[in-house]
Amino acid sequence: MIPNTLTSTTRNQARAGSTGRQVAARVEQATKTYGSGTAAVVALDAVTVDFNVGNFTAIMGPSGSGKSTLLHCLAGLDRLASGRAFIGERDLAGLSDRQLALLRRDRLGFIFQAFNLLPVLTGRENITLPCDLAGRKVDGAWFEEVINRLGLEDRLSHRPHELSGGEQQRVAVARALVSKPEVVFADEPTGALDSRTGAQLLGFLRSAVDELEQTVVMVTHDPVAAAYADRVVFLTDGRAVEELQSPTRESVLETMKRLGD
Amino acid sequence: MFRYALRALLAHKVRLLLTVAAITVGVAFVSGSLVLSDTMGRAFDELFAGLAKGTDVTVRAQSNDPGASLPGQVHPLDESIVETVRGVSGVASAEGSVTGFALILDRNGQPIQPGGAPTLGGSVHRDPALALAGGFSYRAGRAPAGPDEMALDAGSARKAGYVLGDRVRVVFPDGTGEFTVMGLVGFGDTDSLAGATLASFDTATAQRLLGKTGKVDQVDVRAEASVAAVELRDRISQVLPPGTQAVTSEQVSGESSKTVRDGLGIFTTVLLVFAGISLLVGSFVIWNTFAVLVAQRRREVALLRAVGATRGQVLTGIITEAVLVGLVSAGFGLGAGVGVAVGLRALLSSLGIEVPATAAVVEPRTIVTALLVGVLITVVSALVPAVSATRVAPMEALRSATPVSGRIGRVRTATGVVLLAAGTAGLTAAALMQNQLALTGVGALTAFAGIVVAGPQLARGIAAVTNSGRPGGGWSLASRNISRVPRRAAATAMALTVGLAVVCAVSVTASSIKASAADLLHAGNRSDLILRSVTNTSGMSPAVADIIKRQTGVDTVVEWRYSQARVNGNVGNVVGVPAADLGRVVDLGIATGSLADFRDGTILLSTSQARELNAGVGDSIKVTFPETGQRSFQVAATFDLDSLVGTGQLLSLNDYAANVTSRLDDMVMIKTVSSADTPAVRSRISHALAGYPNVLISDPNEFVRTEQASIDQAMGLVTALLALSIVVAALGIINTLALSVMERTREIGLMRAVGATRRQVRGVIRRESLLMSLFGALMGVLLGTVGGVALARSLPSVPTLSVPIESLAVYVLVAAVIGVLAAIGPARRSSRVNVLKAISAD
Repeated sequence: MIPNTLTSTTRNQARAGSTGRQVAARVEQATKTYGSGTAAVVALDAVTVDFNVGNFTAIMGPSGSGKSTLLHCLAGLDRLASGRAFIGERDLAGLSDRQLALLRRDRLGFIFQAFNLLPVLTGRENITLPCDLAGRKVDGAWFEEVINRLGLEDRLSHRPHELSGGEQQRVAVARALVSKPEVVFADEPTGALDSRTGAQLLGFLRSAVDELEQTVVMVTHDPVAAAYADRVVFLTDGRAVEELQSPTRESVLETMKRLGD
Repeated sequence: MFRYALRALLAHKVRLLLTVAAITVGVAFVSGSLVLSDTMGRAFDELFAGLAKGTDVTVRAQSNDPGASLPGQVHPLDESIVETVRGVSGVASAEGSVTGFALILDRNGQPIQPGGAPTLGGSVHRDPALALAGGFSYRAGRAPAGPDEMALDAGSARKAGYVLGDRVRVVFPDGTGEFTVMGLVGFGDTDSLAGATLASFDTATAQRLLGKTGKVDQVDVRAEASVAAVELRDRISQVLPPGTQAVTSEQVSGESSKTVRDGLGIFTTVLLVFAGISLLVGSFVIWNTFAVLVAQRRREVALLRAVGATRGQVLTGIITEAVLVGLVSAGFGLGAGVGVAVGLRALLSSLGIEVPATAAVVEPRTIVTALLVGVLITVVSALVPAVSATRVAPMEALRSATPVSGRIGRVRTATGVVLLAAGTAGLTAAALMQNQLALTGVGALTAFAGIVVAGPQLARGIAAVTNSGRPGGGWSLASRNISRVPRRAAATAMALTVGLAVVCAVSVTASSIKASAADLLHAGNRSDLILRSVTNTSGMSPAVADIIKRQTGVDTVVEWRYSQARVNGNVGNVVGVPAADLGRVVDLGIATGSLADFRDGTILLSTSQARELNAGVGDSIKVTFPETGQRSFQVAATFDLDSLVGTGQLLSLNDYAANVTSRLDDMVMIKTVSSADTPAVRSRISHALAGYPNVLISDPNEFVRTEQASIDQAMGLVTALLALSIVVAALGIINTLALSVMERTREIGLMRAVGATRRQVRGVIRRESLLMSLFGALMGVLLGTVGGVALARSLPSVPTLSVPIESLAVYVLVAAVIGVLAAIGPARRSSRVNVLKAISAD
């Protein structure tokens, strides 16, 4: 197993330090087990990973490798059995359910595979939902910027069932971005889309990182999607086993093949 | 399809739990009412049959008008008739008996009040076979003998703590006496005769005390063993003077049973009306549940259709579910009904109405009714959702996204609005025109139908109003959730509307009756003090009026006696008053004629009665008295304020006394001399009447308050009976909320994922609940108030309208509280939604 997780982390930290970049999210020795006794399944096994500000990271791995669990624990949707998870400097372990909810609302963005939107709200209302839950005013200029980039100007008054799948996911991206979150978490955001629409969506995420200085952590099993990222973290059996910088579809496929053996 | 229905049912059993509860409550109410009614009916039958046992034939005065007469309204017979009857061959023994008014006092000198039941005094027979007939038995001691002895019913003895040997004071029409208790009487298993108090004496003593010396009310006859009752009756009939009749004891107990059963019938009908209201409320809950179940199973149904199920099979499947749910609920309801009967009986006995004890009677009719009602209500309520399920296209199995907002047809909305407008117009017209009871009923039902039909649109309207502020805020989300399934919200709210509308209508009516009572008295009363009997039903000794007349400071005393008689065919109250003094204590609002012409041989008619009889001043009116038969009176004047005196016809006291034997006064009105200090006169009167503790002295204001208190009591009883339907409505709200929380698990999970706190999620559910309950309450209060106004204007003798704003506000508040309480469970459940499970794609 080369290179080991610790080395890669050390290297990342070194790079972060040298370029003056901050760590947006981080897990240390993250361990999570489901069930107990002989039926126990280890979802995460002492994983340590950093996610830097302004970086687009893809997490890959076969089904059951723990990639979704890692995302959920990082995003404060689930709790670690042991180890620690940080958003910025903040340790999630010490937070109450309510504090976690506020953290998600104020500092994180989410894009799920499907069912991202509340059916009773219009596109615009879905986008501003986290701000509305917080009772906070939406930054108008930023809102316009995001909407324009995603090409949603004339879809804002529609209800989700009146939008196509791609449009629905774009609304979800807009919602994730509108509160200028510290990290956007995306869980298979293109899983339910055709390849053209999916490519378009990944392009938006890419440009959000490049042009809007956002931080994105995306779980995917699609090498094409992973190739949009700056870096790919591979998980197998709950452990971070490999990393790729500046991945391409080919290098991702190759790594996957190698890890599969 | 049956297997599918059963499986589907079991899969959703938790969801159906509240529905089952809603039907169970309604069915329990229905079967409880029937069980109570049957039980009481059987108990009274047994009681009367028991009482008549030992007696074979009874001789009594023939009523001139059996339809109009109440017990005790036939005049007594001469005592000599007893000897005449004894002379008939085949008579083993014959004894006369008397019954009358006797009020037993407790140790503090206060009357033992039986709460509506009569206070009786009577004689006991010497022949043990006659005396101890049936259930009548001495629990302790022996029969009274001589002027100083009495027997007491065990119920009164228990209440007052009397034991054998105690000295007990008893008030009679003509005075008070003190006696030694020699025996305690029971009636079968019960301690009293349907709650009545009974003081028994030997025949001579009873005759003297009850003012019937030398008279008997009836003769009880025992036949020799060889002679049949019918045979003896015919033999006795031959020797009887005219105006007297002999009847078998079977006939007597049959008549008594019939009277009681008629009364029970009215009582049962009233209970069943309230049971019907809670069933109606329950039907909304059922409709909702099935609508939700069908909506949740659209894909399942579509799949069934895709693999070849016909529409009929889909319909059969869902109806089968409904039948099963109905059967189960009705079964529970039937069982609970026996409990309800026990509860209702406890309610009655807490009101002082003692019901003879017997085991609960569950007639086959009750079982059939309960099961039929449960199943029919469920099936009918499930019909619309079931039919909508058959319209699910097989293609829907393949589609994933379903639109969130149910469309509401324009025709539906238009129909609803038209019905609502027509109903409201009808009620308004009824309120303006007065005495339009039929129009009020039709108007109220039409308006309610309008609310039901237009309900979804109304719910959406309410939601649009409350959907303000931030779009992601609690109110906004709640409002939108309401308006996405407006039918469900409307049906949920309607459940509350039904109960509250009735409560409000009753409340407005009661309030108006109370205000009218006060206004009428202030408009027509000129007296300073009003006397009535504390027991209200039994009247006061004429000696009371005589005593008052002797007091200084008293100017005029007017006695009022009420009796039932037939006036041109209709049974009504006929009142006797001293003709010359009437105008000094009341202003009846003379419309035509002159009060000066009111004297013996004349009658005063209310204007409405005069209109009904098409009679004017100078015309002759026929009045048929149960004791004396038909008499004619000339109309002296007509008057408007019949509501004040509770009758449309007044006779002079002399004419009244000539036709009605009872000399008890129901009311005495006193006018003090103008120079006198009324409180001082009152205390003198009170002192002088120390021997008549049953007399209640009140000034006009106290009199009104007493009247109003009794209306409040009735209002309280109605509210208590309606509480059950409110409970069902609350179950409905919980049900709807719980079902929609289940439906919206993913949405709730999503909200939580993007940062909604548990509290915010709970808040949304609570607000939905509040919106639905307030919507229902608002509709109910509006409909109830308009309906109540129309109802009050339609009732006779309610000239004043009063809308109790505070009470209505309280009802809305109660509805809000119900809304908040109903949301507790579902809201808690919503906040416990597992975010990860909810958002994980399936």
